[in-house]
This record gives sequence, C-alpha cells and structure tokens, in this order.
Amino acid sequence: MKRVTNMTVQKRIVTVFLFAFIVIGIIIIRLGYVQFVWSDFLMEQAQALWSRDIVFEPERGKIVDKHGEVLAENVSAPTVMVVPRQVSNPEETASALSKVLGMSYQDALDNVTKNERIVIMQPEGRKISEDKAVAVQALNLDGVYVAEDSKRHYPFGSYLSHVLGFSGIDNQGLTGLELSYDEELSGTPGSLSFYSDAKGKRMDQMADEYKPPVDGYDLQLTIDSKVQTIIERELDIATAKYNPDGAIAIAVNPNDGSVLGMSSRPNFNPSNYQEIDAEVYNRNLPIWSTFEPGSTFKIMTLSAALEENVVNLREDEFVDNGSIEVGGAHLHCWKSGGHGHQTYLEVVQNSCNPGFISLGQKLGKEKLFSYIESFGFGTKTGIDLQGEANGILFNLENVGPVELATTSFGQGVSVTPIQQVMAVSAAVNGGYLYEPYVADALLDPVSGEVVEKTEPTMKRQVISKSTSEKVRDALEHVVALGTGRSAYVEGYRVGGKTGTAQKVGKDGRYMENNYVVSFIGVAPANDPEIVVYVAIDNPKDTIQFGGVVAAPIVGNVIHDSLVAMDIPKQDGGVEKLYQWPDTPMVEVPDLIGLEREELRHYLVSLQVDVLGDGDYIIDQAPEAGEKVAEGSKVRIVLGDK
Amino acid sequence: MELNVHSKQSNTADRLLLLSIVSILLIGVVMVYSASSIWAEYKFNDPFFFAKRQILFAGIGVVLMMVVSNIPYFQWLQYRKVIFIICFILLVAVLIPGIGMVRGGARSWIGVGAFSIQPAEFMKLGMILFLSGYLVKYQSYIKEFKKGFLPPLSFIIFLFLLIMLQPDLGTGMVFVLTCFLLLFIAGARLVHFGFLAGFGVIGFLFLIISAPYRMNRITAFLDPWQDPLGNGFQIIQSLYAIGPGGLFGVGFGNSLQKYFYLPEPHNDFIFAIIAEELGFIGATFVILLFFLFIWRGIITALHAPDLFARLLAVGIVGMIAIQVMINISVVIGLIPVTGITLPFLSYGGSSLTLTLCSVGILINISKYRKYY
Repeated sequence: MKRVTNMTVQKRIVTVFLFAFIVIGIIIIRLGYVQFVWSDFLMEQAQALWSRDIVFEPERGKIVDKHGEVLAENVSAPTVMVVPRQVSNPEETASALSKVLGMSYQDALDNVTKNERIVIMQPEGRKISEDKAVAVQALNLDGVYVAEDSKRHYPFGSYLSHVLGFSGIDNQGLTGLELSYDEELSGTPGSLSFYSDAKGKRMDQMADEYKPPVDGYDLQLTIDSKVQTIIERELDIATAKYNPDGAIAIAVNPNDGSVLGMSSRPNFNPSNYQEIDAEVYNRNLPIWSTFEPGSTFKIMTLSAALEENVVNLREDEFVDNGSIEVGGAHLHCWKSGGHGHQTYLEVVQNSCNPGFISLGQKLGKEKLFSYIESFGFGTKTGIDLQGEANGILFNLENVGPVELATTSFGQGVSVTPIQQVMAVSAAVNGGYLYEPYVADALLDPVSGEVVEKTEPTMKRQVISKSTSEKVRDALEHVVALGTGRSAYVEGYRVGGKTGTAQKVGKDGRYMENNYVVSFIGVAPANDPEIVVYVAIDNPKDTIQFGGVVAAPIVGNVIHDSLVAMDIPKQDGGVEKLYQWPDTPMVEVPDLIGLEREELRHYLVSLQVDVLGDGDYIIDQAPEAGEKVAEGSKVRIVLGDK
Repeated sequence: MELNVHSKQSNTADRLLLLSIVSILLIGVVMVYSASSIWAEYKFNDPFFFAKRQILFAGIGVVLMMVVSNIPYFQWLQYRKVIFIICFILLVAVLIPGIGMVRGGARSWIGVGAFSIQPAEFMKLGMILFLSGYLVKYQSYIKEFKKGFLPPLSFIIFLFLLIMLQPDLGTGMVFVLTCFLLLFIAGARLVHFGFLAGFGVIGFLFLIISAPYRMNRITAFLDPWQDPLGNGFQIIQSLYAIGPGGLFGVGFGNSLQKYFYLPEPHNDFIFAIIAEELGFIGATFVILLFFLFIWRGIITALHAPDLFARLLAVGIVGMIAIQVMINISVVIGLIPVTGITLPFLSYGGSSLTLTLCSVGILINISKYRKYY
C-alpha cells in the first residue's frame, strides 16, 4: 500500500494555487486587452447600438446663370411618415391615408403595421403637394407625421435641360451638372443623435448631440440666360419649320472658353424625366454627337495655310474647273462647272472645294494633320459635362492623296460640335485654344460669396495673332460677300462659315438626301465676343444647305445676343454686296426638270423660295437666263414629274 | 493520517479571509442594485426590487455563515452521509415534473417563487463534505486505480450525469472539476488523471453531439459577430459593456448596457456591468479580492490540522474559485457561455446563502490553523 504523505498533499495544494494564480493573471490581461486595446472598436459599435439618429437633410444648392437667374431650385414637398407603434387604429388610419394620398388601402395598411420604428409612406406619400400635406395634417391621426422635405424644381422647364440634367427623388444628381457637381450641390446631412435603451426609449441622462446640416453650395454657370433664351427660341422655330432629326446650338465666349448657351433638340422636361427615353436625356448632342463637319472645317485648313505662309489670300489665285484630280480620282466642287478664276479669298468666300484641296496639298499631310490635332480634334475638349465624345481622325499612316484632299474640305473626319466651336474660337481669338467650361463658381448659399471660381484653361496657342486676324477677315468676307450672307447682321461685323455634310448611314455609306447643315459664326469680327455654332440634322422641306438653313439662325442668335450683351454696334466692316468692287450680276440658271437635290449645286449665290411638294422642279421665276443681283430670291415650284 | 478529533480551536478566524468575503459581499449588493435597477423598475416598478431581496439574502447568508463558522468542522464528518442523502434525494426529485420547475430550458429548481432552490448547488457542497470524508477514510488506496480511484470517479460521473439530466452543464462542470480537485489533492496518481482527460474528451464530444446548440455556443465565442442576434448576442452585449469602460469606467450607476441591452445584467453578466461602471481598476480590484479569498483559503487549507479539514477547505475554496474563473472568463469572452453565476456578486438567494454557508465552514477551519 502506497502512502500519501502529508508533503504530497501540501505540494499539490500549492500547485493548485499557482495554477489559479496563472488563470487570474490571464483573466486580468484579457480584461486589459478588452478595455484598452479593443475598447475603441467596441465603443464605436456600442455607440452605434445606443444612439438613434434623426437625419436633417441639407438644402441642395441652387443653379444660377452668370447673372444670378435661377435655373434650378428647391420647392417644399412634404413627406408623410408613420410611427406604427403610435398608431391607435391601424385600419382607420390606413383607410384615411389611402384616400388622401391616393394609394391602395392594402399598401397603406402594410405601411401602418410594419414592424419598424418609422415608415415612410412610399411612394404616394413622398414629396406631396402642400394641399395634400394640409389634408393629411387635418386628419389629426395618431402616429402620422408630415415631415418637411423638398424636391427639385426647374423654373424654365426643358430650358438648358441637357446641361442642367436632373436629380432624383432623394435629391441625388442623376445626369448633367446635377450629377457632375452633385457633391458640391448636396451639402452634408445633419443629425440629432440621442441615446436610447434597447426598448427604444430615450435615455434622459445622456445629452443629445446635434449636428446641423450644411447646405450645398449654389452653382453659378457661365451660361447667360439671355443668350440661352435666344438659342432655345431659335431652335424651337427651326424645329417647327424644318422638322429635323436633331438640332444643336452652342454659343461660347471665344476669349476664355466659357459656354454662354448650349441646347439641342430633342430636349426634355427634367421634372418628368421618368417618362423620357434615357437615350434622349443621356445624350447631350453638342458634346456627344459626332459627324463630318463639312465646310466649317475649312477654317482649320485655312488657318494652317495662313500660319504656314503657303498662300496669300489676295494675291494668289486658283482656277476651279469644277473638279480636281487627286490620286486618280476626280473630286468635284459642290458647284457644278466650278467657280472659275478666283483669288484664294474668293475660294474661301465660295467655299470652293478644289481650292481648299490645293491648300491641303500645299501644306502636306503632316502639317495639315498636326494643325488639326493642335486645334483639339480627335481628343475630348475636357468640358465639365458628362458624356463627351472623342471624334475620329484618319490615322496619319493611312492618309493618301485622297484622304488629304477630303480632309482639307471637311470630309472623312468626324468631330463633335464642341470641338469645332473651340477650334474656331482659337482660330479667331488670337490663336489660343481654351478648354470649354459651364460651371463658373461655387457660391455660399447664405452670403452669396464666391467659394471657388473656375479659372479659364488655355491649352496652347495654335496660330499666331496675325494669322488669326487674317482668318477673321476671311470669315467676315464669307458673311458679307460669300456663302454665309444669310448670317449677315446689320451694324455688327460678323464672320462665319457654312457647312453641309453628308451623313454616314448604318451601312457605312453616305446617305442620300440626308445632310447635317451647319453654320459657325463669329462676332464682332474685329474683336470676337461670341462664337455661335448651329447644326440642323436633316431639315425637311428645304434645300439642305448650311447657307440656307443654319446661317440665318446664327445671324439671329448673334444679333440678339450681342444686343443682350450690350455690345455696341459699329461700322467699318466689310459691307454686304455693294462694297464688292465688281459685283457680277448672276444669270438665273435653268432649273426646270432638275431634281430637287441638285438645286444646292446651283444656288450658292441666290436664295430660293420653295413652293409645293415633290422631288422635281416644275417651274421657276424669274426665268432662266435673266440676270439678277447676287442674293436675289428665285421662286421655284416643286412637283412630281 | 488519522483524523485529529482532539483539535482545539486555537485562533480567531482568518481576518483577511473575512475581509475579502465581506468586501466582495458589499460590492455585490451595491452592484446588484446598480445593474438591476432599470430592469426592476421596468418589471416591478421598483428600482430596489432586486437589491432589497439581495440584501435580505445576504443578511440571512451572513447569519448562517456566522452560525456555521461556530460549528466545529469535524462535526460535518458525522453528518456528511445524512446531508449527502438529502442532497441526493433533492437532486433526483428535481427531475420529476411537478416537483422540479423549468427555468431557462432546464428543470433545475425546487420550491415556490423566491424561496426556490437549485438542488445541484446543494449537491456541490454535499459532495465536498461526503467526498472529503470518503477520501480521508480510503486515502490509503487512492493511488490504486481499481480500489482507490475508480470507485469515487464512477460515483462522481454518476452524479454528474444526474445533473446533466436537468440539464445544467455549468453546475455540472463546477461539480466535476471540484471533485477532481479533491481527488488530486488527496493524492491520486497523475496517470489516472491522464486517463480521465481522455475520457473527458470523449464525454465532451458526446455532449456536443447529443445537443448541437452547445457547439454553436462554442463557435459563437470564437467569433460572436458571426451570429450577433443569436449565439453571439450575450458575448457581444457583454463586450459592449466592458470595452467602453476603459480604465476608470463610466461611473457608478452610469452603465448604458444595463438598459435592456445586456439581458438580466444582475445575474450571470454582473461582472460586465462592474467593468463598465468601475472600469479596469474596479474590475481588477474585484478580481484581486477574489484572489485574496483564494489565497487565504489555500493558506487555511495548508495550515489545517488534519486531512479532512484540508480537503474540505480546498474543496470549498476550489468550488468558489472555479466558478469565479469560469464566470469571468465567459463575461470577457475567453471561453464559451456556460451559464454560471458569479459567487457573492450575482443576484440569487439560494446560491448566495449556500455560498456563505460553505464559507462559514472555511472560516471555522481557519480557526484551527496550525503553524508548523
């Protein structure tokens, strides 16, 4: 029998004690870990558990034009909320609310009996009118509350819709400036936090914590609402008159790249964006669409040729026989039979394609394309709006004589309207290419003080000041004496260039009888304050020619805008028609029997007045052979053969 | 070693032992008030509802403790079998529906309302008395497996399974560990404990397989945020109390977790409220008071005049110490939730009075301490 000694028992008791000592040590270390190392995390989590936040929404900033005219604001739109635990009679409450709010009884009952602290009466009870809110309050129901809320309001409706965009039901920006400046406009929500016990009752001994909401900044635009109004009006008229597939207008200040007005058709009313096709509101055509520019692009060729000194507009001459042979292909002038003997200034005035091909050839493809890229084509302009396109240029390696020739007069390249506007602005403002911008400043919503101001971004100087002056002079001649005469404005010196470009169809070929007609205008030509671009896509019941459709619109926009902008009228420009040294009388061509489409080849120096419907010209007045002053009206009657 | 029945009371009670008990008891009453006042007000419209009862139980307990501390410990040797049989009858009776009451999913209670008791609690003390006496009698065989180790072991396991029929894993664990502690002190061979450990693992696995919710409790302790509203709930709520406590605590009465976040904060998780309100300093102070109690209890055992007194002292100190360590470890997330109260501190009449009775025996032994 083995005896257990007293010593063994003593030793084992001490062993057990040491074991307890170690365990207690571990417990204290763990306690310290939880209370010191882990405490921040646990505190944060616990506070989230204890505190209940009542959120206070900040007011979304307004959007105003450069003179402070309000373009987007907030209007009161209360929201109905229910605290189900406080509702004394769910059935009665649901039935009363469903009647006032126009929601189904079942939906109302579901909301009123939901197992939640606070239920918003979605969606019929959200952002309701003041009348409905008063009606709900008059019901005086237990547990039903009308909370202050707001919704976005656009006082001018569809005005500037693509630029402004719109915001959704939670006042979050969804498109346009509302989206790109959402952070600045939104502000920061405030909250009232109070501690509550696990049963949801407020704990009085803990102080409430109030963080006031910070309202969003007001956004001031470079848009001049007067100019914008003129643009919208002109596009409305053009839409009514020509029923085009689309229309675009942009006005910028060429001296800093700030956008004065921008619009397009089709447009939309932001307040009912849910009913609009997303393609319509997501496509801001002035920056999204790309098409062949046509003759407006000749300004680039002209600028390059002048800067490189390959031509003297008044002394060098060019003979246009109606077509030019390039790389084995015959490229025709838009005027059948050609323009004959011209100075290069007349080449510009007449928008003579072979003349411009010759300028392109003089420059060579490397130089011409380096200027085109330098003018900003092929890359986004960087405007502060979303959805801008790049445009497409020929890859220089693939440019042969034909590509060089077509590029010279604006075919085979694909550009966005905003690219053209900025490039032409550079050509006429002394040569400086600017980045276009719409948001001018962020304003403090209370004091109106400027918090942040956009500085114009000059990217590079593309051509010299003297070249730019020559370009302006040439463009002024185009309007006074050439293809752009419809844009002439009495008392202002206007320069400009027409453009008529064929559209490429889905099959990759040029479409028949389907053109984008455009005009880009600059004024005053000696010291430009505004550049206006208008493009009408496939106008109906007219001759699809830029000088006919787009130039008068630009003329109107320029005239009304300059007046609105208080730019004084001046003399000393190139006078229309009668200052031209030897004004040739124009012989009225024989138009009878021609297809309507062929008309554009003849009528550069005459205006037309179209009567009737049909594809063929069946009558004209004055008769063929009669001599009339350039710019006179020729009446034609259309019919079917 | 023969029982020295002629031992004479040679000293007064161990003062530090008394000091630790009284201190913990006072802190307990005060903290039960703080932890329970919100619940009490909500349920009974009286913030002092639990506190008043705890004071009453503490009073009864202290009187019983004083009475017991004046009963010479060796008297228990005589009555151990009677006491054990009463405890055993209660432990069986509680399993009978109609006699035993179900609370919290276990049929663990006998009695009426506030005057109900948990037989398993009584069995812990009854078994300490019985086993100590048994081991004194048969200590000569303790190193032999069949004759010395196996018989008490079988009996311990039998009683444990009886407790697990309620089921009450927490009390069962404390019971088994206390009994093993006595076997170890009495001189059982370590090899046998190794065998026991293997057996324990098998038993543990069996318990988990028989009731899968226990496994969930274990995984919940490893990552309570896995199931924050289910098995992890209590641990998370406990940590939310302890973490924000920091060094000095949020101040007495200022706990936020007692506002219905921590379920029944005056029971098993009262230590979390102590750590929240009194901080690391207060919580550590409480732990050190327990340590003082354990230390003086061990000294009492070491200086006890005979083996019965020694085993009795170690058994009582061990029982309380094991319960304290398991409870605090659960509260601070060291081990899975087991459902054990914190001696002296948790609210509860029968367990408090019973603990104080046990301590009375310990105090009495301390009066007979001998210096070698």
